[in-house]
Amino acid sequence: MYRYDEIDREFLADRANEFRLQVGRRLAGEITEDQFKPLRLMNGLYLQLHAYMLRIAVPYGSMDSRQMRALADIARRYDRGYGHFTTRQNIQFNWTKLADAPDMLDALAAVDMHAIQTSGNCIRNTTSDPFAGATAEEVDDPRVWCEVIRQWSTLHPEFSYLPRKFKIAVTAADHDRAAVKVHDIGLILKRGDDGSLGFEVFVGGGQGRTPYVAPSIRKHLPVDQLLSYLEAILRVYNRHGRRDNIYKARIKILVSSLGAEEFTRQVEEEWSKIDVAAANLPDTELARIRAAFAPLPFQALPATSEAFEAAKADPAFARFARNNVRAHKQPGYAVVVVSLKKVGDTPGDASADQMDLVADLAETHSLDDIRVTHEQNLVLPHVKLDAVPTVYAALAAAGLATPNIDLASDIIACPGLDYCALANARAIPVAQDIAARFDDDRADLVGELKIKISGCINACGHHHVGHIGILGVDKKGEEFYQLSLGGSGAEDASLAQILGPAVPANRVADAVDTLVETYLTQRSGEERFLDTFRRVGLAPFKEAVYAEAH
Amino acid sequence: MKALTANRLLDGEVVFWNEGRWVEQFSDAQLFDDADPAGEEAVATGKSQPTVIVEPYLIDLTETEAGPVPVSYRERIRALGPTNHPTHGKQAEANAVNAAIAHAEGAARSTGRLDLIRRK
Repeated sequence: MYRYDEIDREFLADRANEFRLQVGRRLAGEITEDQFKPLRLMNGLYLQLHAYMLRIAVPYGSMDSRQMRALADIARRYDRGYGHFTTRQNIQFNWTKLADAPDMLDALAAVDMHAIQTSGNCIRNTTSDPFAGATAEEVDDPRVWCEVIRQWSTLHPEFSYLPRKFKIAVTAADHDRAAVKVHDIGLILKRGDDGSLGFEVFVGGGQGRTPYVAPSIRKHLPVDQLLSYLEAILRVYNRHGRRDNIYKARIKILVSSLGAEEFTRQVEEEWSKIDVAAANLPDTELARIRAAFAPLPFQALPATSEAFEAAKADPAFARFARNNVRAHKQPGYAVVVVSLKKVGDTPGDASADQMDLVADLAETHSLDDIRVTHEQNLVLPHVKLDAVPTVYAALAAAGLATPNIDLASDIIACPGLDYCALANARAIPVAQDIAARFDDDRADLVGELKIKISGCINACGHHHVGHIGILGVDKKGEEFYQLSLGGSGAEDASLAQILGPAVPANRVADAVDTLVETYLTQRSGEERFLDTFRRVGLAPFKEAVYAEAH
Repeated sequence: MKALTANRLLDGEVVFWNEGRWVEQFSDAQLFDDADPAGEEAVATGKSQPTVIVEPYLIDLTETEAGPVPVSYRERIRALGPTNHPTHGKQAEANAVNAAIAHAEGAARSTGRLDLIRRK
C-alpha cells in the first residue's frame, strides 16, 4: 500500500496542530460557530444529534493492521468502544467530544490517517473495488489510480470550493463492486482494441434527492491523460454548477440539464485549452506511486487446499465458504469477506475488540491488508485457502462470520435518526427487523438480494440502487418508509422504482417479507430477485404488498 | 408546553435549560407554557452563551401520565439516546420521565430539524 513520506507526515502534524488552535479559539470565544463550522467540517467533524461525529478517510477503503489498531484505540479512548464503517469506505465515530478531536487527529496522523476532505464541497475520498489487487477480473490495480487522484485532489486549490461535494469511484473489473455509475465521476479501467489501458469515463451519476445513472462521456481515455481530463470536467462543473440552489448543485444536475452530449462537448473544449503535459502526471511520479502497489510476496501454492475442503464437513463453515469467500487471482489464496451484519447488530458497526481481531488476522493471514467495502463490511483480501478455517474460527468467535454476504441480511443502512441530524427516520432498527427475518437458511434460499436503507432523501444508505430500496420519510411527523424495487449499483446499474405509498415503521419488515415471497413465487430457475423483478415488473409485487391494506 | 434544548459546545451533549443553567436530563428541564415569554427569553439567553452551547431552540411537549415529554420522535431520541444502543446516551439513567419518553407515541415535526433545513 501507499506509504506517506516525511513531508506528508509533517503536513499532517501541522494540520492537526492548526485544528487544535482553531478549537482553542472557538472554545475561548474568539471565533463564532458560523466561523468555526466550516473549519471543523474541513476536518471531518460534524455536530450530530447526541455528540460530534468524526468521519475519518480510509483512502479507497484500504488500510493496514497498524491503522486498524489505531482506530480501535480511538474507539476505546475517545468513543464508546465502537466505530461505524460507511458507504464511502470510511469510518465514523459517533460520540466524539470537540475537546478531544485534536487529540484524535494526532492519533490518526501518527498512523498516516486523517479526516481531511471527508466533508465540505470538495473532492471526497475516492472509492474503489475492495477486491483490488486480489481479483483476477481486473485489468490493472485501480488503487494506483485512486492514489493518483487522492494526491492530485487533496487540498487542490482550484477544487476545494466546488458548488457541492464531489465523489469519484474507480474500478478495473467487469463486475462493479464500487457502484461507479452512481458517482459524480465513475472510472472503469479497460483495455482498448489495441490493448492499451484506458478509462471509460462516466459523469453525472448520483443518488440523493435526484438520482441518476451516469452517462458515459468517453469510451477510452488513455490512462496517462487522466488528470488533465478530470481537470477539464471539474472546471466545467466549477464554472457552471448551480451555486444558487443546494438541491441543484451536484454535477448530475448540470449534466442532465445540458445533456450528456453538450456537457461532453464543453469538457472536450476545455480539455483542448489545458496544457496537458503540465496537467498530467509525469511518468516518474506514476512509477513511484505504482511501486507502492507492487505484486505481493504470494507463495506458490496448489490451487486447491485439502484443509479448506475438509473443513467444509462442518455445515457452518461450508456456508461461510460459499457466501463469504471469493476467488483470488493467486492460486491457493482467497478473498475473505468479514461480515459486519450480524443479525441484531447495527450494520457497519465494529467494536474496538473486533477491529483489533481483524488487525491481528490481517497481520497473520492477509499480508497486512484490510479493506472496507461500500456495503459496510470488511475484507481480508489475501488469505491462504489453508488458513481460511482458522480465520473463520476466529471471526466466528467474535461475531464476524455471519455467512450472509450479498444476501438479504447483508443490509446497507445509514446511521439514520438514531444519530444523524439530517435524518427524517431511523434506518438501523428497520435493518435489524428485516435481517431477523433472514437469520436462517431462508437467506440462502432467496439468494442475492441487496436491501439498502436511507433515513432521508440524501440517500447515504444507497436506497436508489437497492434491489429493495427503503427510504425513511417524515409523514406528518411520523416515521414512514417508502419502498422501491429494481435498483442496482453494480455493472447493470439501474434506479429503483417506487412501489407505492409509504408504509409505517412496524409494517416494513412484513412488506419486505411479502416482496420476497412474491419473488419466490415468480422466480424462474436461478433468477436473482433483481432479474425476476426486471422480467415481471412492479405489478405483482405492488399487488401483493398493498393487497393487505385493502 | 415547551422546553429549551441545545447541544453543549465542548462535547456535543444534548442539554436542556433550567433556570439559568444547562442540565443533561430532560427530567430536569424547565418547562414553559406555550404563551409564556420566558421561553423566548431563555432562547435569547442561550444565544448569548456561544461558548457554552450551540443552536438553542424550543421544543414542543405533550402531556403523558408521567408528565410532559417531547412531541417529536427526533426530540425523544435526542432526549434518550440512540435506539440501537439502549445503554448509550441519557437513557442509561433509569427514571420515570425517561421511561415515559421511551413509551410516548404520537409525533410532530421537530423544530430542530426545521431550523436545520431553514439554515441550509
